[in-house]
Amino acid sequence: MKRYAYYLSCINESMTKEVDRSLELWQKDLGIELVKLHEGTCCGGSNLDYVSPKHFALVNARNIALAEKMGLDLIVSCNTCLMTIRSAKKKLDETPALKKEVNELLKREGLEYHGTTEVRHLLWVLTDDVGLDVISKKVKVPLNNYRIAPFYGCHILRPSSVLGHDNPRDPSSLDQLVEALGGKTIPYKHKNRCCGFHTLLVAEQESLNVAAEALQEAIEAKADFIVTPCPLCHTSLDGYQSKALKQAGIERSIPVYHISEMVGLALGYSAKELGIKRHIVS
Amino acid sequence: MTVPTDQHKEPKQDVTFRIFRFNPQVDSKSYFDDYTIPVERGITVLRSLNYIKEHFDASISFRAFCQAGICGSCGMRINGLSQLACTTQVWDVLAKSREPGIIKVEPLRNLPLVKDLIVDMDPLVDKMRHYSNWIDSTMPEAGMGKKEFLISEEEFLRYDKATDCILCASCVSECSILRANKEYVSPAVLLKSYRMNVDSRDAIHGQRLAELVKDHGVWDCTHCYRCQEACVKSIPIMDAIHGIREDAIESRGMKDTSGSKHAEAFMSDIEKKGKLVEATLPIRTNGVVWTLRNLLPMAVKMIMKRRTPPPPPLVKSAKGIKVFREMFREMTEHVKQDHKSHKK
Repeated sequence: MKRYAYYLSCINESMTKEVDRSLELWQKDLGIELVKLHEGTCCGGSNLDYVSPKHFALVNARNIALAEKMGLDLIVSCNTCLMTIRSAKKKLDETPALKKEVNELLKREGLEYHGTTEVRHLLWVLTDDVGLDVISKKVKVPLNNYRIAPFYGCHILRPSSVLGHDNPRDPSSLDQLVEALGGKTIPYKHKNRCCGFHTLLVAEQESLNVAAEALQEAIEAKADFIVTPCPLCHTSLDGYQSKALKQAGIERSIPVYHISEMVGLALGYSAKELGIKRHIVS
Repeated sequence: MTVPTDQHKEPKQDVTFRIFRFNPQVDSKSYFDDYTIPVERGITVLRSLNYIKEHFDASISFRAFCQAGICGSCGMRINGLSQLACTTQVWDVLAKSREPGIIKVEPLRNLPLVKDLIVDMDPLVDKMRHYSNWIDSTMPEAGMGKKEFLISEEEFLRYDKATDCILCASCVSECSILRANKEYVSPAVLLKSYRMNVDSRDAIHGQRLAELVKDHGVWDCTHCYRCQEACVKSIPIMDAIHGIREDAIESRGMKDTSGSKHAEAFMSDIEKKGKLVEATLPIRTNGVVWTLRNLLPMAVKMIMKRRTPPPPPLVKSAKGIKVFREMFREMTEHVKQDHKSHKK
């Protein structure tokens, strides 16, 4: 059983609870244990970094230091949390004075940021650590009846100087996971595009246009569902779907799954157990 | 043993250039023309286009000048990605081509099409004018030319990378928000605005910033990083966009616009609970009226699916919040000190 520190994303604790619920169901089936980091705090959601770069560094140095204390890699299941925490790590590792300043404060809690722990996405753990062969062997209900649109989202790909796992122009890890589960991916131009989430409250019309384009391509390609490694993309594409498609004048709809649910389905868990019934679009 | 030859020969490969064509004077809709030519390693897309124009079809239109990645004229989409034709190697593109042996060449997106691979740059230039993308000097007219206007190295480093921009519009072509609304300021203009606004010789910082925080301005960027990823000069464009936001919050306060209020919510929630209080985020960003008008139907659906974020009192604080809060507040003191010494 390989152990990891598991970062609790704010959105997975509130709107997309099904992500962590489904992970709890099957993590042991794939030989991994995700130890929840209850002391962890909000990463700043790609906003704190410009509101106050120093608080941003402190908060995320602490998040990483908590995992370092446990001697475990930090696993994240939200793209934006991933990008944000990795950006902070890069900044801390490149700026010794900042690291020192932050560590002075972290002493109060008996913590120290070293920069030794890796910050990785759940998707990468599945493809690289568990391995696609092992996942294939564990599949009980192959997804071979489904045509699946893999929507990667931005912050698992860009900026590549911070992420660097997939080729941002032509990513493949999610496609590979779908195939390991017996599913078939459709050619999907929007796979590496944006969902519009981060401006839903600030530039709503533009964000809905962005989401509608991604939904429209998957609908027109007759995909059975979209799958995404990011709960924020899920919220934009599922939660705001009817609004986005209405604005674009499209009458059909398409379900959107989290990767944790897609894996769960293939491992034999029911849609109800996995929390799929909680989605807005069924 | 290899026999030395007088001529070094590079291997050649037949490559099909699938070129976007549209002449608004004669065509009712766009189409693609295929041209297959033998290409050696080391040849750029621009040289190939010149060859095709010279030997096959003189009517193909594209812009190009310096052939060295300096003038920024030959921005176009090559196999879907906005880049300069003159610095893009045919063989490199071919290696990653989805359709073997084929390179698709299309005009930049998000700007009006003039003909074939040429887009109209005027909307971009108009925006640069609108956002005053130049230095309005603090030096009185009478003093100009009489003494040097020096800046510190530290200051220069803040916009050194931004000055590398050659206005090729690759970032403009890749922008997610511009694709959704052509009124949006666009990444290249934000980059230039940042560059001017951090220059101590500039006198119109406040005026420029006031324009940048309005609708279709800096707060509409959705952080997709497509601009930065496409930049042919590897400029960290998002750092510039974040730089303008940081400046806006510092000089105009956190209650200035919905964008700054939204950002501020993260800061205050993290300080209070260590967690984001999502339930009230729309109200804190846009007020009660907007929230009711825009989100009520969705909220009803979410309630039915038990998907609503918990109300503020039910958002559990992160474990160990007390000590965390002390550290957070002490950092606030550090930041205050930094600002004081910066102003000195």
